[in-house]
Amino acid sequence: MLASILAQVPWQAPSIDYHAIAPEIVLAAGIVLIILVDLFVGESKKWVTASLTGFVLLGALIPVLTLAVSDPDARSLFDGRYVIDEYALTLKALFLIAGYVVVLLSQNHVEEGDYYQGEYYTLLLTSLTGMVMMASSRDLVSIFVALEFLSIPAYMLAAWRKRDRKSNEAGVKYYLLGVFASAVMLYGMSLLYGVTGSTLLSEIGRQITVDGDFGGVHALAIVFVVVGFAFKVSAVPFHTWAPDTYEGAPTPVTAFLSVASKAAGFVALVTILYVGVPQAKDVWQPFLWVLAALTMTVGNLLALRQSNIVRMLAYSSISQGGFILMPLAVAGTGDAAGPALQAVVVYLLVYAAMNLGMFAVVIAAARTTRSGEISSFGGLFSYAPGLGVLMTIFLASLAGIPPLGGWIAKFAAFRAVLEAGNGWAYGIAVIGAVNSVIAFGYYGNVMREVWMKPAPNGETRAVATPTSLVAALTITGAATLLLGVLPGTVLRFGDLADLVGAFGR
Amino acid sequence: MSDFLRSYLTVFWFGLAALLLASLLLGIAVLVRPSRPNREKLLTYESGVDPVGDGWSQSQIRYYVFALLFVIFDVEAVFIFPWATQLERYGTFGLVEMGVFVGVLLLGLVYAWRKGVLRWV
Repeated sequence: MLASILAQVPWQAPSIDYHAIAPEIVLAAGIVLIILVDLFVGESKKWVTASLTGFVLLGALIPVLTLAVSDPDARSLFDGRYVIDEYALTLKALFLIAGYVVVLLSQNHVEEGDYYQGEYYTLLLTSLTGMVMMASSRDLVSIFVALEFLSIPAYMLAAWRKRDRKSNEAGVKYYLLGVFASAVMLYGMSLLYGVTGSTLLSEIGRQITVDGDFGGVHALAIVFVVVGFAFKVSAVPFHTWAPDTYEGAPTPVTAFLSVASKAAGFVALVTILYVGVPQAKDVWQPFLWVLAALTMTVGNLLALRQSNIVRMLAYSSISQGGFILMPLAVAGTGDAAGPALQAVVVYLLVYAAMNLGMFAVVIAAARTTRSGEISSFGGLFSYAPGLGVLMTIFLASLAGIPPLGGWIAKFAAFRAVLEAGNGWAYGIAVIGAVNSVIAFGYYGNVMREVWMKPAPNGETRAVATPTSLVAALTITGAATLLLGVLPGTVLRFGDLADLVGAFGR
Repeated sequence: MSDFLRSYLTVFWFGLAALLLASLLLGIAVLVRPSRPNREKLLTYESGVDPVGDGWSQSQIRYYVFALLFVIFDVEAVFIFPWATQLERYGTFGLVEMGVFVGVLLLGLVYAWRKGVLRWV
């Protein structure tokens, strides 16, 4: 019976552009390779899995580069469900490089902690594969699969220190709220599919129009989908998991979650808003406006009160998320769509560099101080001048001080908002400006500890920083400086405003 | 009432009828049968075996690994059977795809084997 049913289904082998999905193939092959290598090497040789992971990530970057310089500009697979355009390639490169830096950060941490090295890197690569897929997904199903692909390994990584209560708490909280958010989002997606009859985002974009039959169910669907991603990007009031998870997870994993995982959430959100429901801007603009305003303000105010550096960075990353949401809140108005997309991508690139750098400094310094308290960084400059200077650079960049990357990111965000030029836009710009000032309060507080306070317990030993951490610090530090001094390199990606398949383009 | 909801009415009547019929039969049985309980009769029924221990007995945690491994191959079967009926149509492409799929699943088995969970200690 099965055979007769299947025989009625028309089938033909899909024509696959293997060049276009080469990054994903390299990553998938890398995952298999690392599992096998991990199984058959001795305990003392487990470090090769870390090096292999690094090579796999750099290997996956090669096809991304060849795709970027090749014709045609945009490739579309599976009837437009999987698109490789400049937007996707930029973000794929971001995920792969961020992943590489996370591997550098993890190497000593995982090796010395005697954690399960092979499994750690396998899961890290799996999660990155999901992110790389997310950048290309233009269909509700592939977006959802990519989201689960990147989330499920991340839940396990958050609970990696399995004998540590805080790490377990981190994993459980992240998991429970993550699957809850997935469920809400899936419900929204099912409603979208129900009212449009298609999971293809460009088709949904054609169906959901202002002139068409636009009712409560459309609004509910869009709000639910946005709420799901608001959990992923830890926007207030869906942020409650973030500080506990960030504090409990191993620090390299925290860096990974706060940069790569968050960026993946924004990528999916942008794709859905721009390709799927651009015409329903009256629904998502006010909603995102409130989310952005709350996220910036609440994140900042809570960050002011933290004494633990990782918790402070957690709240700071929440508030930075608010700045990324800010241009999206006016993205549907007038000519703001292009600049807003540019601002989000630029912000994600810069944020990845400076936040990973910040975590690299914290990991390097904590090797000596063995503490996460902000006060333990007192006098860091006096006994580790290099780390002190780098930390100042990253903090200043996060605060948005001019010659650094963070400044150009904030500049792009504000420019996009002002492009919209109505009352809503000026309102959110004022809130953003006030928050930039508040943010300097807690970033400046850490700087004061580093430069002006004496070292606690008279710590004066020089900090021995392992090579992998030095490499991570060099990459992120150079990127943060370069993006600020030569903003043209990153603003160039502003011309990617064409999201392939976007409605009306 | 809309047609949509009306079609659910059938479900409601059907459920009600099932409930009534069952309670009627069981009710008659309660009224008619004699009640002479003893210890043997009140024992929990466990497929003819004497029940030992209480209902909250613990089971071996090791079964959990085997259950997981079973799931792997269960899911594999779900995909392989329909695929096998149409193999000629799917051609080389289908063969390679299924090879990759089975290969990745086998990796799970190799992992379990190397980690020593297949041995029953």
